[in-house]
Amino acid sequence: MYYPEPISKLIDSFTKLPGIGPKTAVRLAFFVLNMKEDDVLDFAKALVNAKRELTHCSICGHITDQDPCSICQDETRDNSVICVVQDPKDVIAMEKMKEFGGKYHVLHGAISPMDGIGPEDINVPSLLNRLKDEEVNELILATNPNIEGEATAMYISRLVKPSGIRITRIAHGLPMGGDLEYADEVTLSKAMEGRREL
Amino acid sequence: MHINQLALKNYRNYEQMQLTFDDKINVIIGENAQGKTNLMEAIYVLAFAKSHRTPRDKELVQWEKEYAKIEGNVSKRNRSFPLEIIISSKGKKAKLNHLEQRRLSDYIGAMNVVMFAPEDLNLVKGSPQVRRRFIDMEIGQIQPTYIYHLVQYQKIVKQRNHLLKGLQRKQQADRTMLQVLTEQLIEHAAFIIEKRFTFLELLRKWADPIHQGISRGIERLEINYQGTIEVSEDSNREKITSMYQQRFAEVENKEIDRGTTLVGPHRDDLLFLVNGKDVQTYGSQGQQRTTALSLKLAEIELIYNEVGEYPILLLDDVLSELDDYRQSHLLNTIQGKVQTFVSTTSVDGIKHETLEKAELFHIENGKLVT
Repeated sequence: MYYPEPISKLIDSFTKLPGIGPKTAVRLAFFVLNMKEDDVLDFAKALVNAKRELTHCSICGHITDQDPCSICQDETRDNSVICVVQDPKDVIAMEKMKEFGGKYHVLHGAISPMDGIGPEDINVPSLLNRLKDEEVNELILATNPNIEGEATAMYISRLVKPSGIRITRIAHGLPMGGDLEYADEVTLSKAMEGRREL
Repeated sequence: MHINQLALKNYRNYEQMQLTFDDKINVIIGENAQGKTNLMEAIYVLAFAKSHRTPRDKELVQWEKEYAKIEGNVSKRNRSFPLEIIISSKGKKAKLNHLEQRRLSDYIGAMNVVMFAPEDLNLVKGSPQVRRRFIDMEIGQIQPTYIYHLVQYQKIVKQRNHLLKGLQRKQQADRTMLQVLTEQLIEHAAFIIEKRFTFLELLRKWADPIHQGISRGIERLEINYQGTIEVSEDSNREKITSMYQQRFAEVENKEIDRGTTLVGPHRDDLLFLVNGKDVQTYGSQGQQRTTALSLKLAEIELIYNEVGEYPILLLDDVLSELDDYRQSHLLNTIQGKVQTFVSTTSVDGIKHETLEKAELFHIENGKLVT
């Protein structure tokens, strides 16, 4: 190797991150060498702590530093509505909206037989248990609008339907503030399909 | 629609080449392995951003060169605009009017091309896959959402087959997921079938009269759709959907036994009948050739109907394969309205007055000789 052992190790570590190739890794590693020692220590601590202190909420599966998570503990939130999402990042996106006052359930993935992911491999069983134990009136399925996300939503709805809980699926269609002419054909045809009476 | 100019750089065996074309007939003459088909392919790539011969773009770049570039100037509805395709190890770029098009679907369709090559005889003789590809490509050119449904459909089939294999090996027992995937599959399948029926209706309208013309009025061409469900072609999507639901319910156990999806557009086929007889099995070589030719000529008329202009026709090494009568019929049909490129080893086998007015290009080892 051209680099001394410590820095080549650092470069290798950076390349493990998504979106970072060998060149960016070298640039980042050399940047770290020039940082103040305190900043580097804070950085290293933040990395370790994020991994050590975060767990998945035992109720909803969201990432949290306390169990149950702050959303599940929040008594002002509506317990009767659960929004099902694929990823913790989706919860953050929903929370930014500040309009949804119910609870969440994070699946951590979608059903995909091709990749060997069945309903038991994602948080479907815990969702079903939750529906048995809690008083839930509505289940909002907010999985991604692709084949796997759709299939997962349809699968959950089939399992839950007999219990009489209201099941809804978020809408597909045009982004707000955009121009109709820039929408692609597929989005536009979905938006036409999902049109509603005014 | 016609292409006025073509410039190639590092493309296959062309290091650098610039050509100006006639808007009627262009004949490309050369010995074997001099680059006739490469030139035809270049025009095809300019239209579809991919080759008809290979799925690997890398092969289009000359040996040990960084990139290949195809530029063309196309006239359409009295306007002319430049098209450009650049292929490098980083991928390919398609530029329309000097602007890079991020989505290829925005690029494809700017220039319409119909190609007739010896392989197209496979349309009649070959496997059902060839015929499905033909019909899918054609509809895709006219309706962009069709490709989306087709791609989604293929993904679901893949997912479903994996699940069926799991059920077959009894690794899973839950059929709920199977029913979910079946429901998803049917949604796209019904869309695909409906569009295929509409397209066939159009294709028949053009193909039969053309076939009668080529065969001097003694042969009629019928095109039948052979599906995995029994449904009349004027059915609406609801009807098709309910037929599929019924069929899938019937075969569910059989599908699990076999571990694969047995019903759907990916197993359908086209049947060509000449005077009521299946050409694939009972037709003569000549009848098969005529059928393929009729379909290609019908394609030209179809595109004219949809786009309002005739596409560019590429005849790669096929003119000399046709007998005199079929040759002159073909040339009469396209005469004066379709810009045509003909590649051949010599003009001796081709006798027609249109060829006298044609622009000739002699190709030798990737270079133009005058």
